[in-house]
Amino acid sequence: MKLASDSQAMVMLCSRLGFSTQTNVKTYTLKDWNPLARKLIDANMHPGDLLGLSAVDIKSQLDIGLEESERVSFLLERGTAIAIELDRLSSLGIWVWTRADKVYPVRYRQRLKDSAPLVLFGSGDKYLPGQPGLAIVGSRNVDVEIKAFAEEIGNICANSGLVVYSGGARGIDTYSMIAALDGRGTSVSVLGHSLEKVIRDIDIRMALENENLTLLTPYLPSAGFSVGGAMGRNKLIYTLADYALVISSDFNKGGTWAGATENLKNGWVPLFVMDSMHMPEGNKMLLEKGAISMPNPLPIEGSKEFRNWLKRNSKKIQPPPSQMSLFS
Amino acid sequence: MEGYSNEARGVELLRQMLGEQAEFRPGQWDAIEMIAENKGRALLVQRTGWGKSIVYFLATKLLRDKGAGPTLLVSPLLSLMRNQLEMAERIGLSAYTINSTNRNEWDVIERALAEGCCDILLISPERLNNQHFLDEVLPLVSGRIGLLVVDEAHCISDWGHDFRPDYRRIARILQTLPKGVPVLGTTATANNRVILDIQEQIGEDLVILRGPLVRTSLRLQNLVVGDKASRLAWLAQNLPKLPGSGIIYCLTIRDTQRVAGWLQSHGINAKPYHAGDDRNIDRPALERALINNEVKALVATVALGMGFDKPDLGFVIHFQRPGSVIHYYQQVGRAGRAIDKSYGILLSGTEDDEIQEYFIESAFPNRQIFEQILRTLEREGSQRINDLLSNINARKRMAGKALKLLELDGAIGTVYNRGKYYFRTPNPWIPDDERYQRVTDLRRQELSQMQAYVTHEGCLMEFLCDALDDPQAEPCGRCANCVSRGFSVKVPTELVAAAEEFLKFDELRLFPRKSLPSGIYPDRSRVIPDNRRNQPGRTLCEYGDSGWGELVRTGKYIDQVFSDELLDAAKDLILNRWNPQPFPEWVTAIPSLRRPNLVPGFAERLAIRLGLPYHCVLIRIRDAPEQKGMENSTMQARNVQGSLGINGDVPSRPVLLVDDIVDSGWTLTIAGFLLQESGSGVVCPFTLARAQSRYG
Repeated sequence: MKLASDSQAMVMLCSRLGFSTQTNVKTYTLKDWNPLARKLIDANMHPGDLLGLSAVDIKSQLDIGLEESERVSFLLERGTAIAIELDRLSSLGIWVWTRADKVYPVRYRQRLKDSAPLVLFGSGDKYLPGQPGLAIVGSRNVDVEIKAFAEEIGNICANSGLVVYSGGARGIDTYSMIAALDGRGTSVSVLGHSLEKVIRDIDIRMALENENLTLLTPYLPSAGFSVGGAMGRNKLIYTLADYALVISSDFNKGGTWAGATENLKNGWVPLFVMDSMHMPEGNKMLLEKGAISMPNPLPIEGSKEFRNWLKRNSKKIQPPPSQMSLFS
Repeated sequence: MEGYSNEARGVELLRQMLGEQAEFRPGQWDAIEMIAENKGRALLVQRTGWGKSIVYFLATKLLRDKGAGPTLLVSPLLSLMRNQLEMAERIGLSAYTINSTNRNEWDVIERALAEGCCDILLISPERLNNQHFLDEVLPLVSGRIGLLVVDEAHCISDWGHDFRPDYRRIARILQTLPKGVPVLGTTATANNRVILDIQEQIGEDLVILRGPLVRTSLRLQNLVVGDKASRLAWLAQNLPKLPGSGIIYCLTIRDTQRVAGWLQSHGINAKPYHAGDDRNIDRPALERALINNEVKALVATVALGMGFDKPDLGFVIHFQRPGSVIHYYQQVGRAGRAIDKSYGILLSGTEDDEIQEYFIESAFPNRQIFEQILRTLEREGSQRINDLLSNINARKRMAGKALKLLELDGAIGTVYNRGKYYFRTPNPWIPDDERYQRVTDLRRQELSQMQAYVTHEGCLMEFLCDALDDPQAEPCGRCANCVSRGFSVKVPTELVAAAEEFLKFDELRLFPRKSLPSGIYPDRSRVIPDNRRNQPGRTLCEYGDSGWGELVRTGKYIDQVFSDELLDAAKDLILNRWNPQPFPEWVTAIPSLRRPNLVPGFAERLAIRLGLPYHCVLIRIRDAPEQKGMENSTMQARNVQGSLGINGDVPSRPVLLVDDIVDSGWTLTIAGFLLQESGSGVVCPFTLARAQSRYG
């Protein structure tokens, strides 16, 4: 895969791809990248301009300390290894985006600003993320009624041209995604782990090849499950969508609750919650906290009305637009 | 001034490596400077032995002194030569190799990398896609590679004379390398078209450093001797006249065995050398024996090639003609690197074109094989190679090629989970028929150029250098054409007759198969128990060979009966040269519905000659399509199984099992299995011919 030089530099500086955790030098995290990005802007430079520069040059041009310039220079010597790594990933059907890429989702830049992930790995269609859609979230273990509702919504999204955004986990995530794909719709899953493994699934692979599905992850494609990974991706699901729907949530525990309250706090997208007789405790509490009720059964005739219904009921919660520099 | 001191430092290091008198050859320092000082990209086209390794050793040293990461040397070679390693050590460089054959050394190597003590790491192109290498090895140096060296760089271009699929990955990686990473490509054999193509792929900033290719000690001669027997006779006659020791190249494994056997029977110490499945071949030991002049010649396939360096090799003879002038230049160029006089003699045979045509035709899998693999993986998910093969009608080797190409195309991937699994990736697959056709067309052009070389009347060395676009090509003044003299094509007729006789009785061994393919008897283990396996067998000849092979062909397809000549030869082989123990006490045959009497009739006549009873106990349950239409083991055995059965009483004594032509060996394996299941004694298979299914 051929990356622009800014992206090449960012992958070398910010991704742990092919990097040892043992070494003294660390790759850049969000926290320490943002100050460096500001130095770059001040010097009127792009990340790609750093390629081929010595530590001494970097120090003087960016006006940074010796230690930091040596860190940058050290990391930028990973060119060959990164090219080898990226070729392997590309052969597997996995591409990489950095915040310096034009195709990087605008919504991440706008809504997450400094905390927009620096590097993303993905597979499948590159243009789905950011298309109009609904984030559907919920627990892993649910009863038949709740499962049926997830499938109904997934199917309605397919019929009404909405992308189903989800987290690719067992349970609600999978039910809604499969329903969307079965209904000839599209879906984007933001994974917390195991991208490399997920793409080997027969059905997932087919949907990826047919460009009906996109998988995204801010973690290394080979990364295994971690709670941090599962939690960390929540905001990346919400911020890609136009609306979010919580189908089932525990109260005050679990990833669904954490993600939903995070969204309420940040006001990224209007938050709907499935509202029914037997809804879980978490759903009730989210409604109390100001989430919007989505009655089960749905009060609409046919899926064509769904988009309008979402719009009407979303109480004009809009993400604040903002202009950001490409890589900051 | 700084430029001067750098070069002075370079010379100092060179002398540490090669001795006080050493000076750079023209071009060496330019290349080193290009890489180590300017961090540029260079393609070095120089003949073998010129000192390409000196360039990357010194460049590595200079880069390492400045704190760069180790050099990654990508090469099809398994390891550096001992003398190269010694040179590197003299300037304080440690070179290591990671490959599949030295797994027990990986710990040590990985520690050296982690501690910064590995200066040069040699890997095969395949390893660039290896999970362990990417996940465990590269991170040890934090991915910091100071210099990337690509050996046999001509393979980057499809116009090169070698098609190595893995170089496609190298080309992609080079195309995506960021600025500031020095790269050195090296090759001994790149013509203008190849160089241009590489430059186009890798970019304008690739600097070409090119030197002359002529070999000044080599005396070339082409001899058209004709059939195999005459060439064998020529070798027996002339080999003792040649200086020192050398290599005799053959195109097939079978011929290396034949030629070596023939020469041995004339008291010449010649040994076969090939990469085939033969436990008696200890390649490193054979190479040492040649280097130490303990053998007169190794009779080798191209498996004896790259990386083999014997500066005083006296001669290179080709028993058969290689497929291209460039291959020929490379192979013959192994002679006389450091001696004044050496010989390069090309014998061409009547069979050469047929063999080369086979190589060309079987170079790429056909479209159906690719499609079958993809559809199977799409349907079934991840699969092991054997499960995959049972869905694909292709020879294992051909399926293997297809898998490799598909993996390079990004259409399939591999994953290890207690065994290697293949899976389909989400990448679309676009068949590259055009590319394969282009390569195939190129091979045909190369073949016709080689044919032209055989009868070329001008200077032979000039012809070779011209073919490689060497700008300094000129008549050598040493080859047989330049000096108008050389070895005679004439050989004594008695010697030719003896060689004919030798070829006639050059029977082949049949090795019993030890396992059944998966899915044949699902409730059984695939391993055939000892008491159900066949004994080692014999076959009279190679099908289609002149001599017996021709008689088998006419017997089967024209006369519908095998001649008495074959009967006598079979009897002679079984009684006098094979004499299996325990000796068979009865004879039976593999039946066929297509030609019901051909083999049983022959087996019955053979039984009479041997004074043994003949029992017809094997039957065909339904007729099977001919084996040769079935491409791989799993498919072939399925074809046989269910079509063979036992009818009647099976004597409980050792049996001679007769068939006409053995191809996959499954028919004999399963017949032997069935016979022993039904109570026979041990089974000794005998066939009239072996299908020439494979070359090399």
